[in-house]
Amino acid sequence: MDDGGHVQAMREGFHINWMNMRDASTGQVMWESGEWDCDQEEMEAQIPCEILRCRQVSRELNFSSVEVITSLRLVQSVIFKGELLEEWNFHFGFVIPNSTNTWQQTIEAAEEEEMLPAELLSGNVVIETTFFDGEYPIMTQRVRIWYL
Amino acid sequence: MGLLSILKKMKKEEQEARILVLGLDNAGKTTILKKLSEEDITHIMPTQGFNIKSIVQDGFKLNVWDIGGQKAIRPYWSNYFENTDALVYVIDSSDRRRLEESSAELRELLAEDKLAAIPMLVYANKQDLLQASPADEISEVMGLASIDDRVWTIQACSAKSGEGLQEGMEWLIGATRK
Ligand SMILES: Nc1nc2c(ncn2[C@@H]2O[C@H](COP(=O)(O)OP(=O)(O)OP(=O)(O)O)[C@@H](O)[C@H]2O)c(=O)[nH]1
Ligand SMILES: [Mg+2]
Repeated sequence: MDDGGHVQAMREGFHINWMNMRDASTGQVMWESGEWDCDQEEMEAQIPCEILRCRQVSRELNFSSVEVITSLRLVQSVIFKGELLEEWNFHFGFVIPNSTNTWQQTIEAAEEEEMLPAELLSGNVVIETTFFDGEYPIMTQRVRIWYL
Repeated sequence: MGLLSILKKMKKEEQEARILVLGLDNAGKTTILKKLSEEDITHIMPTQGFNIKSIVQDGFKLNVWDIGGQKAIRPYWSNYFENTDALVYVIDSSDRRRLEESSAELRELLAEDKLAAIPMLVYANKQDLLQASPADEISEVMGLASIDDRVWTIQACSAKSGEGLQEGMEWLIGATRK
């Protein structure tokens, strides 16, 4: 993968199609992005604040790749006012050329008393997702969260 | 019901488990996993790659890998064998015509070094359909009884109604922790 041409093609052929969030204990979708224009540097998501009361939340992300990728991984950070709250790493490995894939992660929410109130969080939380092939960054996507 | 509740029963010292879900296209793999998470199953499209469910609870991580079963995708299955702790093989019990094809794919999987000796759950799915063959008949046609290099079971189920799904998964998790 040290061929610059291939890395370029891989970046051009890589797209995040949509994201959603669910209450994982009921499977109910609380928020979905619809088809996204992922070329934007930062996107905004308006999420019902009830999600903060869910004990388990799942975040799902759907992406496509035209090119084969041998060692895909992602780093997802949840950032509050510039401070790292959570970081998730996931190693996908091989990605089939011309494939569409989803990754859904289900996590336990913080205890209610540890949870910051929605008014404080709203507009100040950014979920930043970076995809890599080995060491090569493919794309970074930032979503700013507003709680309604 | 659900993967979350099963996860609660796992031992703490096992930090991570990887379950691989395979089977022919249209078998119902994606539907089964969505039903197990109580998600809507009415708009599921054929999988053109993989779907991963990654569940973290009490410091334990369960990763379930569902790979598309279309003929063009099957040659890529082997890229996902590494580090697999348990195999789920899904069969469309109503598709008698393709039972032999499904059987042949399974035989190839069972011969793979990277999948050797790991527990296997066979879901005889779509039992809600009238034309579905019962699990014991499928087991017979596929010659499952001759598998002696691993623990395995066949579980009749319907991803549509949810029947049998939980039982199958509980068996698998139990077999995986041994
Ligand atoms: N009646 C009935 N239909 C089912 C059942 N499970 C799945 N189906 C249907 O079978 C079709 C295929 O289901 P999928 O879950 O997409 O199958 P898959 O194994 O993931 O297929 P690929 O992604 O192509 O490998 C869908 O139309 C489902 O609604 C079941 O238990 N009963
Ligand atoms: Mg599928």
